[in-house]
Amino acid sequence: MRCMHTKLPDFLAKMQAAAKRIRPETKIVIKGLENVDTAKVASLRCGRIEEEIYEVTQDPDITEVELRIVPFNPEVIYSTIAKGYDASGKCKIAILDDLAADIPTVEYYLTDAEVIDDRRSAGHKQTQL
Amino acid sequence: MKLKYRVIPKGAADGAMPLDWVFIDEKDIKKAALTNFEAVKVIANEYKNSYAAVDIVDLDAVSVTSDGIMNPIAVTAIASVDHGMVNKTYGYMPISETPEYEGIFEDEPHMRQWHLDQFKGKPLFRGPNAKDRGTERAGHNENMTLTGRIANNNCGSEAFNMVEMTEALVFMSAANELMRDGEVTVCVAGPEVSVGIGMVVSERWGRIFGSANLGGYKAGMSAHNSGEYAKTVKSDYPAFAAPKEKFMKLMLDALDTGLIVGRHLGPSPALMCTAHAYGTPIDIDHISDRAWIELESVGISKEEMSKPVAKPYTREEMIAHAEEIIPGMKNAKRYKASEVVDIKEVEVDPTTIA
Repeated sequence: MRCMHTKLPDFLAKMQAAAKRIRPETKIVIKGLENVDTAKVASLRCGRIEEEIYEVTQDPDITEVELRIVPFNPEVIYSTIAKGYDASGKCKIAILDDLAADIPTVEYYLTDAEVIDDRRSAGHKQTQL
Repeated sequence: MKLKYRVIPKGAADGAMPLDWVFIDEKDIKKAALTNFEAVKVIANEYKNSYAAVDIVDLDAVSVTSDGIMNPIAVTAIASVDHGMVNKTYGYMPISETPEYEGIFEDEPHMRQWHLDQFKGKPLFRGPNAKDRGTERAGHNENMTLTGRIANNNCGSEAFNMVEMTEALVFMSAANELMRDGEVTVCVAGPEVSVGIGMVVSERWGRIFGSANLGGYKAGMSAHNSGEYAKTVKSDYPAFAAPKEKFMKLMLDALDTGLIVGRHLGPSPALMCTAHAYGTPIDIDHISDRAWIELESVGISKEEMSKPVAKPYTREEMIAHAEEIIPGMKNAKRYKASEVVDIKEVEVDPTTIA
């Protein structure tokens, strides 16, 4: 079970369902995976996050849930592929390179939170002063 | 107990500065009986509703610029703070002393500057060692701290706001001036500085490259390696530098030890033009073709640099003509440190840094 992985569309559907379980009118916005077309998501974490979204909606004042998905390592390294096509659609060349994008860390998304409950692995917990 | 610190606030230098950048003298941290990390926590508390890059500096130590020039200041820790927070994994990074190792002067010839009277015996701090970088930073990670929207990169010489997507450069020579109540010049970096930043030397535990092994980029190569585009990569950002006559002296000191630009020192536009005017050798053939493309793109031609000047300037003439010899940062505005830096003191509350 620990090693199983959920299909990305199933993961997204599960998050939607968890947010609407208590009040179907609750809105949910999921941000951070827009450019990921296909993926397998660790099932163990999928279940934990479903549970957390459900927990967030226990408060009757909550009308909207935002699930923000941020790379843990904020110096994100991508591979780039510069491809050149001819008129027939044949790819004549592909040049690979690296691209690092430095992105805001989780703290940027926490500045408006009244309560912060960090349940990440012990080594990843943020320092909040 | 109080902690003294300096900050270039957002909007300083007639609006050029895009973010708050804090500098703390390690001596002031010791006076406040704090560790460097505790001092960062004190600053984070000062920024409960804002954000800043933080450099901790040692004015009794030395470090090296990317093109290999030794400076009488070193950054010993960097940090990023945002709304009172410091990211546990990426928000703070100490920079340990780089010990003199056997063979350093052969492997890193530019380090011969360490024998100069003004630098002799002073501890060297450049880049972090493996322990400083921690276990979570991957190999591709630069020597950078990140918390929230603030990144502090290349061991404290460039800082970004990743939300506003702004950036500033504070060269080591400028930090030295700001900490010693000197003067700085400020303007957009421009193409010559943009090319110069890429002309690095090879070092173990360098500020930008190198680890236990010497980095892959040797003097004479361009780390930017981006042809005519190199002159644009950092050209639009505000840069704080020392007045040219100040870093001219440091470059001349290096050249007077016999170091050769392009072989021992990076062929930055500043060093190329200085060596040429001073009549000291430039290793034309050791400079890579890729580096020459970048140099030629900012008007430093192989043909001109290959021809010795008829009458080299004396040291005094070099300093007197520094403004015209060193290319780039044209029309930079000169400021006293006190005009761009606020000196502050904060009462340390032990309960907030525990």
